[in-house]
Amino acid sequence: MNNKNIYIVLPAYCEGKVIKEVIRSIQNEGYNNIIVVDDGSVDNTYDESISAGAIALKHTINRGKGAATQTGLDAAKLLNADIAVTLDSDGQHNPKDIVKLVTPIAEGKADVVLGSRMLGEKGMPKSRILMNKIGNWVTYLFFGVLVTDSQSGFRAYSKKALESVYTSMDRYEFESEMLGQIKDAKLKIKEVPIKVIYTDYSLNKYKHHEGFSAQGLFNGIKMVIRLIENTLIK
Amino acid sequence: MVLQILVTIGVILFVLPNLYSSFKKKVLTPLALTIWVLCWIAGLILIWFPHLIDLIGLSFGVGRSIDAFVYVAIVYLIYASFVQKLKMNEISKDITTLNRKIALKDINSKDEKDV
Repeated sequence: MNNKNIYIVLPAYCEGKVIKEVIRSIQNEGYNNIIVVDDGSVDNTYDESISAGAIALKHTINRGKGAATQTGLDAAKLLNADIAVTLDSDGQHNPKDIVKLVTPIAEGKADVVLGSRMLGEKGMPKSRILMNKIGNWVTYLFFGVLVTDSQSGFRAYSKKALESVYTSMDRYEFESEMLGQIKDAKLKIKEVPIKVIYTDYSLNKYKHHEGFSAQGLFNGIKMVIRLIENTLIK
Repeated sequence: MVLQILVTIGVILFVLPNLYSSFKKKVLTPLALTIWVLCWIAGLILIWFPHLIDLIGLSFGVGRSIDAFVYVAIVYLIYASFVQKLKMNEISKDITTLNRKIALKDINSKDEKDV
């Protein structure tokens, strides 16, 4: 498969410590079109991305993962990408899995491929599985799409999908909104299993989100409130 | 009586200086400052002389006019909160759009050169 028109989109906020390593690991898999959207970081994320050879874009003000991802997808569209793949920029997604997401689109079997942590993944904490399931049901309730990992940021979009989805939600709930748009546009969705790399860095960063913590629950409630608001106020 | 005194002190010590400070910072226009000051003075008068509300109520034919006053105030606050939410939502979207345009400027200009 020709990787020339595959663009990798990394929304990043204060990932200066790891972004270079993440970019290198993606380049090692043969993907050289890497767009980093620095979402108003106060560290050296932008400079590190440029020095690693990525196309770095900067949000002057922090707007959230949803806004940064959409900016990256817009950039991929402008650069005439055939496929755009979004990954988390903290290194928790394995670049070796990119090929699994890209292949169904290249073969014309799907328009959007979701990397699912819930398919065949063993060793995931039960509390995390429960949180994921709640997220899936919330997505189903609001957007009528039932998938195994609605909050996964590891996704691949075909050119047709890039033209069809455009999130207006700036924060984490954009993953659910995009699934609704994918359904409305009648795009073909496929889920493939992915592995999550739990490094010390990502575990520390998400220590509040890993378990069924008060913080995690609070973030979940905030997400539901924003989804309700977005349903009422467009 | 204690409540009336506390509210009056609060308005004199915090609200009015805050309004004046906003006016000095040009956040409020002279007209807006005047309207706000009059509103707060009217509120203080009604707190000290609540029977005045009944006079207003009588002119609208309402028996317990304080109830009507509270209901209208609640409806107004809900409406004001909703309008503010809409406005904030709009501003938030505008900020994201502007942010995105600035971020994509280099790619857009490169794209135009290629054409």
